[in-house]
Amino acid sequence: LAGPPSPPGQDPHGWRVPVDCVRANELCAAEPSCSSRYRTLRQCLAGRDRNTMLANKECQAALEVLQESPLYDCRCKRGMKKELQCLQIYWSIHLGLTEGEEFYEASPYEPVTSRLSDIFRLASIFSGMDPATNSKSNHCLDAAKACNLNDNCKRLRSGYISTCSKEISATEHCSRRRCHKALRQFFDRVPSEYTYRLLFCSCKDQACAERRRQTIVPSCSYEDKEKPNCLDLRNTCRTDHLCRSRLADFHTNCQASFQSLTSCPGDNYQACLGSYAGLIAGFDMTPNYVDASPTSITISPWCSCKGSGNMEEECEKFLHDFTENPCLRNAIQAFGNGTDVNLSP
Amino acid sequence: AACGLYFPRKEYSENVYIDQPAGTPLLRIHALRDSRGEATHFHLCQNLIVSRARSHENHWFQIREKTGLLYLSKSLDREDFNMLSVGSWMPLSKVMLYVFLSSHPFQEKECDSAMRTTVFLSLINATAPACSSLTARQLCFTEMDLSFHIKENKPPGTFHQLQLPSVHHLCQNLSISYKLLAAEGMPFRYNENTTGVSVTQRLDREERERYELIAKCTVREGFREMQVEVPFLVNVLDEDDSPPFLPNGTDTADAVVEFNRKEGTVLATLTVYDADTTPIYPLESSRKKYTGTIITDDPWISETFRVEHIFDEIHFSPNGSQVRGTQHEYKLVLNKSISVTEHRSFQLDVLVNDTEFHGPERSVMLHFNVSILPVSIQFPNMTYQFTVNRNAERFAQIGKICIENCMKFRGVNITYKLLSPNVSCYPVSILQGREDRWGSVYVNDSSVLRRPECKEIQYTIQATDKQSRKHTKTLLTVVLEGTLLKKEEDCPDSCAVSKHQAECEECGGLGVLTGRCQWRQGSGKGITTNYSTCTPSIKTCPDGTCDVIESKDAAVCPQDCTSGNIIGGHGKGIGNLGIKSGHGICYCFPRQNCYCEKDDIKEQLCDDVCKTVI
Repeated sequence: LAGPPSPPGQDPHGWRVPVDCVRANELCAAEPSCSSRYRTLRQCLAGRDRNTMLANKECQAALEVLQESPLYDCRCKRGMKKELQCLQIYWSIHLGLTEGEEFYEASPYEPVTSRLSDIFRLASIFSGMDPATNSKSNHCLDAAKACNLNDNCKRLRSGYISTCSKEISATEHCSRRRCHKALRQFFDRVPSEYTYRLLFCSCKDQACAERRRQTIVPSCSYEDKEKPNCLDLRNTCRTDHLCRSRLADFHTNCQASFQSLTSCPGDNYQACLGSYAGLIAGFDMTPNYVDASPTSITISPWCSCKGSGNMEEECEKFLHDFTENPCLRNAIQAFGNGTDVNLSP
Repeated sequence: AACGLYFPRKEYSENVYIDQPAGTPLLRIHALRDSRGEATHFHLCQNLIVSRARSHENHWFQIREKTGLLYLSKSLDREDFNMLSVGSWMPLSKVMLYVFLSSHPFQEKECDSAMRTTVFLSLINATAPACSSLTARQLCFTEMDLSFHIKENKPPGTFHQLQLPSVHHLCQNLSISYKLLAAEGMPFRYNENTTGVSVTQRLDREERERYELIAKCTVREGFREMQVEVPFLVNVLDEDDSPPFLPNGTDTADAVVEFNRKEGTVLATLTVYDADTTPIYPLESSRKKYTGTIITDDPWISETFRVEHIFDEIHFSPNGSQVRGTQHEYKLVLNKSISVTEHRSFQLDVLVNDTEFHGPERSVMLHFNVSILPVSIQFPNMTYQFTVNRNAERFAQIGKICIENCMKFRGVNITYKLLSPNVSCYPVSILQGREDRWGSVYVNDSSVLRRPECKEIQYTIQATDKQSRKHTKTLLTVVLEGTLLKKEEDCPDSCAVSKHQAECEECGGLGVLTGRCQWRQGSGKGITTNYSTCTPSIKTCPDGTCDVIESKDAAVCPQDCTSGNIIGGHGKGIGNLGIKSGHGICYCFPRQNCYCEKDDIKEQLCDDVCKTVI
């Protein structure tokens, strides 16, 4: 497929390289017209009603000016310094414009360009064996061993495990909030060749699959007394900038597509697994394996579509992006088998 | 005026190619009516939302106001494509359009109406494909599922056209025909001339809420014939058209307040069913739609009780097919703790109201027969007698005292105290945990036990209810027995320090009952709650709770109370206190570390169980 010649400022894939929002905010602040329009727009959006905003001439003008500023296309990086500040700037503009009722929201994160094969290469260096040929062993156990041999991985893993298994009182068996925070640190600070091996190891028996299910200490980080409605859960998630961003990122990178061989957008497994791991790291939207079945992989957040009323179809659609998502399933299986799609660059 | 028109789909999608000529039809949008004869007018918002938040003025797309046909009014050339993909970082650009609906012609061309549907147009960076290169699936259906929603109790109407206007326009030499399978007996009809699908009668969600049909498409090109089948789904949307009703006609429940008088206690529950669905989300608005109010003029009743409403989805099967309904539970709850002296009976009525149902039977009355019984604060008909060994040490637990039914009490605060005897022998005291409903009698001064003149001591115990100040008394006799043992030298003050059975049973320590510590022999299997340890009394230590007496001094039972380090295989207790389970023998140095380890060196150093890492 021959695309148009790349204008300056584009990367070899033909995508514009976006500025991060913290930097874009600095650029805008240095320019009086931009900064005053940005302030105006934020005030317009504070009302949270898109239609009133669009009707207002002043707001409309501010929007048009800002469309030309770097703020408009700015993006954030996962685990970057000031990630939360970056996301705040991003949503301060996009919240009112993309509308809260949209089913899928675009990810505020930069596209992932690395591929799974990069991880396999690193993984086989430290394990000293080809993960694909070693069929007898318990891959999830191997992943735990590999993590324990790395100081950083071991420290952060035992950190979240002890936090998530610490009993607080007879009624509260752990601090969910602290557990989520510790998990987030683990997934943000440990390289993915370790974390993915733990999360997505392939299994041939139930003991292995149970170990895989237990990776994130689901009794604390996942399960709850009651299962909320998935739309309610999504709503809660969207009130938090970080959770909202990670969910949007999951939808962007794991949404099943008919247009690719692997069912993944751009046939990019790495991007999907990355946004899945990003969603685990904390929040109530945390997904996990629903059972210890070694072969059939079913993933779901802790919610159900009971009590959806007239929104049942929408709820099922939301839930199916986890439970019946061919892209996510293929990506996990491809990682477990040590296979990636070979694409010409 | 409220407009009853609505779209049977939330989203539509189609592809747009470079240089497609003006006039090319793209897709057909339908609307359904609330009442017969209502006119439909479609209107396009003149604002294209281009990937993410960027918007652009629409120069290319228009909709036929009467028919809902969306078409290209101006062809999109490469320049237009480039302009619309600025700011998009995905290889595929999509633009989003809003289509609005009204029962009268649009006056102001504004984008604000509750009735709207979204059209996604994928901009394909290529000219329109040749018909021969398209698969049957592409010729017959779009990528989106054929899934629709139709409101119940509304007049019939056409809600979809199977034929794709864009394909029909592009591939006129192909014969594409459709069929709707599995439609026999279902309230849907397919019109071959228009390829329109219509609903033929008013639907009732409470009878059936989901119809699954199959759309079959046949493509003929000369002698070649291809067929595709896809699911065709119709969901019936609910409206509040059923009144509440009582299961088995039960509208009365008994609510008895006796020992449990605490704020928040659920006294009784009555259930109301409704065939309509009730969304959990947003929760508060559903609670407001279905109310439960206490009917009373008595301020005491409205202060003392409240009604809690929870609801849950249940299933009814009216004629084989399952439909969702709602079970509402109304719980009568104590709004404040009730004094032990309170005594009354009355009927409390709760009015349940389905506020959105427009019929005469929108409410039901629930009745709670409330009886508040007084409870007496008194000791069982006996006096207490405890025997204490003269060799017992400080913090030895002698016994528990408890007024009648004390373990059943909730929300009643009873405090126990010993009234001083007028003798000089005074070895025991009473202690009560913050939440405890009983008092524990323990040795407070062990030197008194050793004095020969102290033999039998009589106390008076008093129990008082904090709220009503009611109190009761009984007698406690403490009998001292046994002969004094010679104290071993070099014994630690805590039993927990001993690591072997022999040294354990030779020594005494804080909390012992008979002057000697007791050895608990564990099962020796891995990390277990039944670990081996030395304790002042097997009955109370370790038992998994750091009770009020054990917490007085760290040396009494560190196995239940330690908050320090535990070295070796172990599991911590509730709130990070104590050793819940340990490997081998657990021993502790009070206010320092505890250790759990296998003693037997001959044994394999670490077996499989001990290898179990976190």
